[in-house]
Amino acid sequence: MSKLRVVHYINNFFAGVGGEEKADIPPQARDGVVGPGLALSKALGEEAEIVGTIICGDSYFGENTKSAKEEMLKLIEMYNPDIFVAGPAFNAGRYGFACGEMATFIEEELQIPVVSAMYKENPGVDMFKRDMHIIETEISAADMRNAVPKMAKLVLKLAKGEEVGSPAEEGYHERGIRVNYFHEKRGSERGVGLLVKKMNGEECVTEYPMPVFDRVDPLPAVADITKVKVAIVTSGGIVPQGNPDRIESSSATKYGIYDISGMNDLSADDFMTVHGGYDRAFVTENPNLVVPLDVMREMEQEGVIGELANYFVTTTGTGTSVGNAKGFGEHFARKLVEDGVGAVILTST
Amino acid sequence: MTNIVLVTNNSVVQEKFGEKLDVNHLPQATYLETLEVVRDKIHAGHKLLTHPLSGSVKPNDTPYKTIVISKAKGTLDYDGLGIIEESMASAQKFIAGRKTPQWTDKVKADFRLIDFTIISTAINSMDGKFIG
Amino acid sequence: MRLELGKIKITDVQPGEVTKVENGTLFVNKQELIDLAMKDDRIKGVKVEFARPGESVRIAPVKDVIEPRVKVSGTGAMFPGMINKVKTVGSGRTHALVGANVITCGKIVGFQEGIIDMSGPTAKYTPFSETFNVCIVIEPVDNLETHDYEQAARLAGLKIGALVGEAGRNVEPDEVVVYETKPIAEQTAQYPNLPKVGYIHMLQSQGLLHDTFYYGVDAKQMVPTFMYPTEIMDGAITSGNCVAPCDKVTTFHHLNNPVIEDLYKRHGKDLNFIGVILTNENVFLADKERSSDMVGKFVEFLGLDGVIITEEGYGNPDTDLMMNCKKSTEAGAKVVLITDEFPGRDGKSQSLADAVPEADTLVSCGNGNVIVEFPPMDKVIGTLDYVETMIGGYEGSLRKDGSIEAEIQIIIASTIANGYNTLSAKMY
Repeated sequence: MSKLRVVHYINNFFAGVGGEEKADIPPQARDGVVGPGLALSKALGEEAEIVGTIICGDSYFGENTKSAKEEMLKLIEMYNPDIFVAGPAFNAGRYGFACGEMATFIEEELQIPVVSAMYKENPGVDMFKRDMHIIETEISAADMRNAVPKMAKLVLKLAKGEEVGSPAEEGYHERGIRVNYFHEKRGSERGVGLLVKKMNGEECVTEYPMPVFDRVDPLPAVADITKVKVAIVTSGGIVPQGNPDRIESSSATKYGIYDISGMNDLSADDFMTVHGGYDRAFVTENPNLVVPLDVMREMEQEGVIGELANYFVTTTGTGTSVGNAKGFGEHFARKLVEDGVGAVILTST
Repeated sequence: MTNIVLVTNNSVVQEKFGEKLDVNHLPQATYLETLEVVRDKIHAGHKLLTHPLSGSVKPNDTPYKTIVISKAKGTLDYDGLGIIEESMASAQKFIAGRKTPQWTDKVKADFRLIDFTIISTAINSMDGKFIG
Repeated sequence: MRLELGKIKITDVQPGEVTKVENGTLFVNKQELIDLAMKDDRIKGVKVEFARPGESVRIAPVKDVIEPRVKVSGTGAMFPGMINKVKTVGSGRTHALVGANVITCGKIVGFQEGIIDMSGPTAKYTPFSETFNVCIVIEPVDNLETHDYEQAARLAGLKIGALVGEAGRNVEPDEVVVYETKPIAEQTAQYPNLPKVGYIHMLQSQGLLHDTFYYGVDAKQMVPTFMYPTEIMDGAITSGNCVAPCDKVTTFHHLNNPVIEDLYKRHGKDLNFIGVILTNENVFLADKERSSDMVGKFVEFLGLDGVIITEEGYGNPDTDLMMNCKKSTEAGAKVVLITDEFPGRDGKSQSLADAVPEADTLVSCGNGNVIVEFPPMDKVIGTLDYVETMIGGYEGSLRKDGSIEAEIQIIIASTIANGYNTLSAKMY
């Protein structure tokens, strides 16, 4: 029996090509195993072998997703694979997005089983868990030795048409798929049991979790905005030319605060957009489309608002984890309050 | 009952209630399109008076739906908006799984009848009562 | 109220000269049943056929299922307000022919509903594949109006259920279970240290083919009220609901309400079962506000520490379910919900049409959208002509050889949302 043919997809970092400075490398193929592919190869054992590894820079994929997918498909097809493994991506947001996009794309195009692995906060999990199996990992690559064997085991099962067990059994993120089964006890008996536990303050697990209600109660409306200092906050990725703080074009891990004192509008010479989730042409010509400094300055001059803060806060929204976004907000909100800002205009894209 | 409007794609509702009540009949609208019209009306300030997913016949089985809204416009009916949006999401989920079949005339007549009787009893229930 | 329920185990059904029970076999005089049904001049013809567990028999389309019972002592008679005088029931002694059922079949509307397979891979989805069924196939007079047909079929089922139930009057039961609920002050005093629990029973109440009756009163016209749990065992609640077979609560399920049974099982042990709050599922949104406010009021007034809530139907009732959950929680009770799910065929979508944060403890009765294969059966009681227009069936689902591919929605009581079955769903 010939071995199953596996193609492995890794990013610039795991390929040993380089870190962030090499995140823009285009797709390339190497025969056999590269980097963590060695661990994967061992985990796959006798039944399968890695015949090729595809490498792509995370920024390149994020900024050229459509073409990158096609380029990578061509490279992958060359190896005639039976199995496609992407990652593990752990908590790397852009890589997680790329793994999910590629894996679901390859599954559809080549009709072969796929698998990836990510940390629970990686935005790729929520985006792709419904459409594929994503093994759950710890936050960093230190978890490689746990993640890789689980990936191998699961994808071999898929390849052999064996039944895949529950998320707990196989180690993948809950996909959000409801599956019927016959319990030993009837529903009413289980219901009464749960109620007694609940009344006694004991732990009881629901059989159907409600969707997450993560809402922030809005404050009352501003009484008189003509007296208030207003700041602009954006997730549209507007940064000074050259992106001095290297804010990512997706899955941002940082935010920036940039001075606008004395400016009546954002000049295209001084500012640019790094956001990877929309067509940048219009905004590159006129950054005021996302950070409306021109209009806000007019309003300030006309007395419509009390005052405009002399800086704006920026990050990239696309693919950014909820955890990070919350963290940024809690952080810079303190500065806004200290600086006497009473209201914020939030622009998103 | 001059303070309500029936939004419907069910010709039987138009036929039986058209004289006495304000009926917004959308003869060409699909089930989902009827719900969309109601949603737009809620956005405009009308109040939702009946539940859009009335009846146990699923949104991808029956082609007909009648929903009652207030004639007057007021401040945004948040609860109603939530209900119509959830109902639309629910309908889309069923229809995405399996489209509404091309029923025979007899079956369509039965679906119209069920929709009509359900909304009639709801309307009778409203008669004389405060509807906000 | 104290009721002794005498369970007579039925292990076979056979035709006979006299309708009676002998050594566990229910003998049925078919003509007697036909004559009784034909007294209603809205009915043109009646056929009586038997279906036994394990037989290669398919019953379709099913309207209602009624367990034959008889009141041996105590006030009132079975199905008060429907086929007998209105008199409060639920006390004394009642006999039930357990393991036998009367099943009404008939094509009331063009979209039919309800399949029962007595054997094969889908038999496990319905409890009625394991009972000895007396099937009544009802044909209406020509051009009978739909409302009239529904009523005629419904009453025929109840009358025949009561008639057959009579056969159990003088038979010594195999088992007698005693259920008792005292008036509130006494009940509270009986188990002062146990948490007080109520059952909020939501009744389908939307209109034609979507109705439920309490002592003959249309649930649409009720405001929430209190019921002693044993009343339901004597048929105080009857079903006029014929739509969405999978979560239709048949009259059998009212008589054998599993939440009431399972609460009684632990009554006096780790809970004090106070009683049942009946409420409805009206389409008029203000009715929902009114009913759920009143449910909350009952929870508070009765001092309930915990409640279980069940619903019937999908979509519209999910909103009532959530309102009742929220208001019961606000009234100080811990809440557990029991319901079925419709997350789409791939199981990936939202299972319920509504949601509130308070609904944090829920028992699932399964995903009704799952597609299953029904092999052909040797005999069909009723007709298969309309399978494709049954809820859960679809174009191309009925094949020439009699096999069917359809959602489990099409099987009677397969995902019934009162917890009667063991079918459930989990997250993958």
